[in-house]
Amino acid sequence: MSLYNQNCTSNAASLPSFQINPMSSVLTLNGITKFYGSIRALNNVSFEVPQGSVFGILGPNGSGKTTLLSIVLDVLKANNGSFLWFGQPGSPEQRRKIGSLLETPNFYHYLSAVDNLKITNSISGRGNDADIDRILKKVKLYERRKSRFKSYSLGMKQRLAIAAALLGSPKVLVLDEPTNGLDPVGIAEIRELIVELRNSGHTIIMASHLLDEVEKVCTHAAILKTGELVTIGQVEEILMDEDVVEISAADLNALETVLKQLGGTVNIVGNTVQLILPKGTARLEDINSFCFNKGIVLNHLLLKKKRLEARFFELTN
Amino acid sequence: MMTSLLKTEWLKLKKYWAFWLMTGIVALTYPGINYMMYTEAYKNNLNDKTMGPILRMIPNPFTFPDVWHTVSFISSFFLFLPAIVVIMFITNEYSYKTHRQNVIDGWSRNQFLLAKMIDVFIMSLVVTILYVIVAFILGNVNRGTKEVNVFSNTRYIGLFFLLNFSQLSIAFLIAFLVRKAFIALGLFVFYFFPLEPLLVALGRERANDAGRYLPLEISDRMIPIPRMFIAGDKEWESLVSQSNLHIVYSIILTTVIWTICFWVNKKRNL
Repeated sequence: MSLYNQNCTSNAASLPSFQINPMSSVLTLNGITKFYGSIRALNNVSFEVPQGSVFGILGPNGSGKTTLLSIVLDVLKANNGSFLWFGQPGSPEQRRKIGSLLETPNFYHYLSAVDNLKITNSISGRGNDADIDRILKKVKLYERRKSRFKSYSLGMKQRLAIAAALLGSPKVLVLDEPTNGLDPVGIAEIRELIVELRNSGHTIIMASHLLDEVEKVCTHAAILKTGELVTIGQVEEILMDEDVVEISAADLNALETVLKQLGGTVNIVGNTVQLILPKGTARLEDINSFCFNKGIVLNHLLLKKKRLEARFFELTN
Repeated sequence: MMTSLLKTEWLKLKKYWAFWLMTGIVALTYPGINYMMYTEAYKNNLNDKTMGPILRMIPNPFTFPDVWHTVSFISSFFLFLPAIVVIMFITNEYSYKTHRQNVIDGWSRNQFLLAKMIDVFIMSLVVTILYVIVAFILGNVNRGTKEVNVFSNTRYIGLFFLLNFSQLSIAFLIAFLVRKAFIALGLFVFYFFPLEPLLVALGRERANDAGRYLPLEISDRMIPIPRMFIAGDKEWESLVSQSNLHIVYSIILTTVIWTICFWVNKKRNL
């Protein structure tokens, strides 16, 4: 069974049994369960993050995204289950190789950006003084590098947290809501940065509730709902759970009648007819020739992708 | 590893103005209060009609070797000042959530706590060095022509350090468990004075001196009241023997405190 493109139900018992191959994965989660008192924040969550992927963890507020990342970064202890980084149980040595931003930018308020990054460097061993300057230029904080953290705006604080995660150019990044507090320009810059990192072979694990952001940059995604893993797979596959074909011709009613012969669901939506078929079964050439043979000439034929937003609502509601 | 922890803690503290301000206050208070006690309680009373003859009969408590004892006893009353510094540098980590970030960035939970333990150790050392300087200067100012062994009573240097480390560890434990600066400060200062002194006094009167086993009193009794205030040799010998016992109690208590800290830190969510 392939690990990816698994649609899971919210019933823990029916979760698919994943074939885990830790050697090829950056991160492997195995049945992670976490309780806050009597509240179950995560229930038996298992998946793998492949090397080189931009892996989005999606879910509404309170779905367990940050809890999950906190567990793999040893900030929280799981009640059950285990995780492996690079095929090994989590350890401080491994965390030093990972650039992480968890929940909020956590820095010493009385220190400047440079002094805070020196602490990051001192603990993690990532980067050096030259790298600190380079990374501050990259996140556009260089001009304010000597100002105290407490004088920064929310966006600047977030940029510093991203700078700390990028220090020393770690091959793996864990970013929890990386665009929090950023203005539209800042969001676009971070998106470009993530794409740039992806293209240079970095693995990025990113929690977000901004679906547009995930759709644009992620290669893979896992969707959580109240602590349950609802689905996991490549973003393209998650989006295309069924084939939606948008078709148009001069006579829409005649087109609708003809298309009904193909099976599937047929609806007139505006100036087009929408044909919904089981995933992977829509062949545009066949549809075109079928309609032509029935005397209908098509003036529009398109296999549509569902927006992640629509898919997300389907899965989490 | 220790060097790396020390380097990181230094990076945190070296530009923290509140730390330097408090350290400055400690650095001024210790010489100030000891000098005040020396002039007001001793020197200026030497010519007093009632006190003068009594004071002249006993050895000068501010010269060697007694000065080591006297200054350590006086200074121990002002330990709440370095305790404020200790409470600040642990609660800061919680209010800035940097205790999480340090672990995320690659420290183990134990390394984080070990770094804090080093801070408490260094603070105790700084206060002890300050005490040594004050005692040494006062001792020299009062040094007469008589030949004395300057270092004959220096066991009080070790005892003062242990008292510092033990009581600052108690302040640390409160701050570590409570996590909030103002609550921790309030609790510690309230316990330091008046709660524990009150309980010790009550214990002395009504419970066979059971108050001697209270956390601060355990280490306080390592440094008994200076010899000049004790009338008989027998009572003095009893206090010294109690002091020796309390060295052991203090070491046990401090070990227990840090064991609790490491255990809690390992188990709890950050």
